[in-house]
Amino acid sequence: MAAQKRAATALANGGLFELPDELAIDTDVARRVIVGFIRGQLRQAGFERALLALSGGIDSALVAFLTAEAVGPERLLAVLMPYRTSSPDSRQDAEAVVAALGCPSKLVDISPMVDGYFAGASDASEVQRGNFMARMRMAVVYDNSVAWGGLVVGTGNKTETLIGYTTLWGDSACAFNPIGDLYKSQVRQMAAAVGVPERIIRKAPSADLWPGQTDESEGEFSYPELDRLLYWMVDKRRAPDELVSLGFEPSMVERVRRMVAGAEFKRQVPPIAKLGPRTAGIDYLYPRRRPGSARRS
Amino acid sequence: MASLRIALAQIAPRLGFLEENLARHRELLAEARDAGADLVVFPELGLTGYLLQDLAAEVAMRLDDPRLAALAAETTGLSAVVSFVEESADHRLFISAALIEDGAIRHVHRKVYLPTYGLFDERRFFAPGDVIRAAPSRLGVGLGLAVCEDFWHLAVPQLLALDGAQVLVNVSSSPGRDLAAVNEVGLGTATSWRTLMRTYAQLTTSLVVFCNRVGVDESISFWGGSEVIAPSGRPLFSAPFYDEGLFTVDVDLADIRRERIELPLLRDERPELQARELARVIAERAGMSLDSTAEDGSSPGLDVAFEPSRRERAGSQ
Repeated sequence: MAAQKRAATALANGGLFELPDELAIDTDVARRVIVGFIRGQLRQAGFERALLALSGGIDSALVAFLTAEAVGPERLLAVLMPYRTSSPDSRQDAEAVVAALGCPSKLVDISPMVDGYFAGASDASEVQRGNFMARMRMAVVYDNSVAWGGLVVGTGNKTETLIGYTTLWGDSACAFNPIGDLYKSQVRQMAAAVGVPERIIRKAPSADLWPGQTDESEGEFSYPELDRLLYWMVDKRRAPDELVSLGFEPSMVERVRRMVAGAEFKRQVPPIAKLGPRTAGIDYLYPRRRPGSARRS
Repeated sequence: MASLRIALAQIAPRLGFLEENLARHRELLAEARDAGADLVVFPELGLTGYLLQDLAAEVAMRLDDPRLAALAAETTGLSAVVSFVEESADHRLFISAALIEDGAIRHVHRKVYLPTYGLFDERRFFAPGDVIRAAPSRLGVGLGLAVCEDFWHLAVPQLLALDGAQVLVNVSSSPGRDLAAVNEVGLGTATSWRTLMRTYAQLTTSLVVFCNRVGVDESISFWGGSEVIAPSGRPLFSAPFYDEGLFTVDVDLADIRRERIELPLLRDERPELQARELARVIAERAGMSLDSTAEDGSSPGLDVAFEPSRRERAGSQ
């Protein structure tokens, strides 16, 4: 019964990935909007260059392709930051992106920083280590942004942002994010459209914080199913009972609902205690970029 | 009647850069004049950018602002519609569109409907206009100005047409969203707008001119797709999505006459009937008189609908 109610999920691009029908987007329009968005963000800030952390995964690969299209590959710096336990495949895939785009790149091994901090802290959990790695990568990218003279482009997708599968002030840190409103399934659709290497589209998504880790095994979900649930829950405002009648498992609806609610704080600017007459973000409201705010205006 | 050359200035204003946007308007007015345009239309807040927030007060202009006068001075032998933040004498801020002709401001429309939902927050920063009037123009035909959301309310195009407008001009800063592939043109916003504009053109038997901006303010990308629709509802011209440009379109004003004679919808409108029924609905919704069309037990203003609690009771019986 429940299975019959499920919407069709087509295998898109000759079986390269699963794409639920309701998530299919017009990739030409999306590409146009995103490329214009990247140019607009840089122009408003007075920058011509950009840089990003390139992991070898699909999200950062897609952002690299779109940014190179927006500003030209010579103005994009890809920063590769493996840890000693990172999969060699990740590095190979990141290098394939760099080769395909012809953009400058830089390799920074974060092992000494991470191991130096955790030396003698054998009780540190995998979560602590994973978060610290993400924040070290953030620190390295932001340090490089000064020498490179560019803005840091974010690579988080809508799915991970909604469920909170990100490290605060780590991988979520950026000047602007071109793909933050695309679900993982839509990232795959876009990646295929802009020519991200198939191998990267096909492989199982992973934070690559420890060997063999994959998003879907860790979270016990499949992206197409999770994306569909989030789409109906968030974009289409369906209540839990309506989601169940759409065919989603009640336990999954409840679990995802909690994850989304629990991650609200990760999506917002930290609150400031209101004291004065005019407070940033409350009643002092300006566009991020305005006359006088660009680096070279 | 004569033919009319319309120039659609589908521009990407820079947010908050009033002087730069003024200069761009002057350039395009000159370019449109060289192209033989009679009417040049710029988008909503083309002089300031859209997502102003607290900047609105800083870029606001009074109607006697010398910068507006200087812009108007560029319209000798031309008609143009430009849009900016207007500050009234009592210091309210409006999103306004002005018809400027032969060096003077001929008419100002203050945006009546300010969307404050979803991604919009206009009512926080702006005051709503409260006048909807057609304006005579040097083009020999009445113009009806409206700003973006004004066209999401049925009464606006109808009032403008009843008041004598034969050309309805909507200037917009419409953010593109809803990229679902099932949409006619790959963008839900564009599909909705096109449906509205074709419907209004046909129902008011008027020429509809839509000028929407392009470019990016913060997170928002504006989709362009400016259009000119014949009084039959048939699109005469559709500008590309997202591309900046000055697009000229020639229209035959005699088409309006032909359409209105063949399909005299406007002649057959019953404004006095509408006014009478509206007066009744207003009084009833305000609780000033008994709701004459309501079911027993429903609250004032809800008209024929049941109260939810009453519906449940009815369902359980």
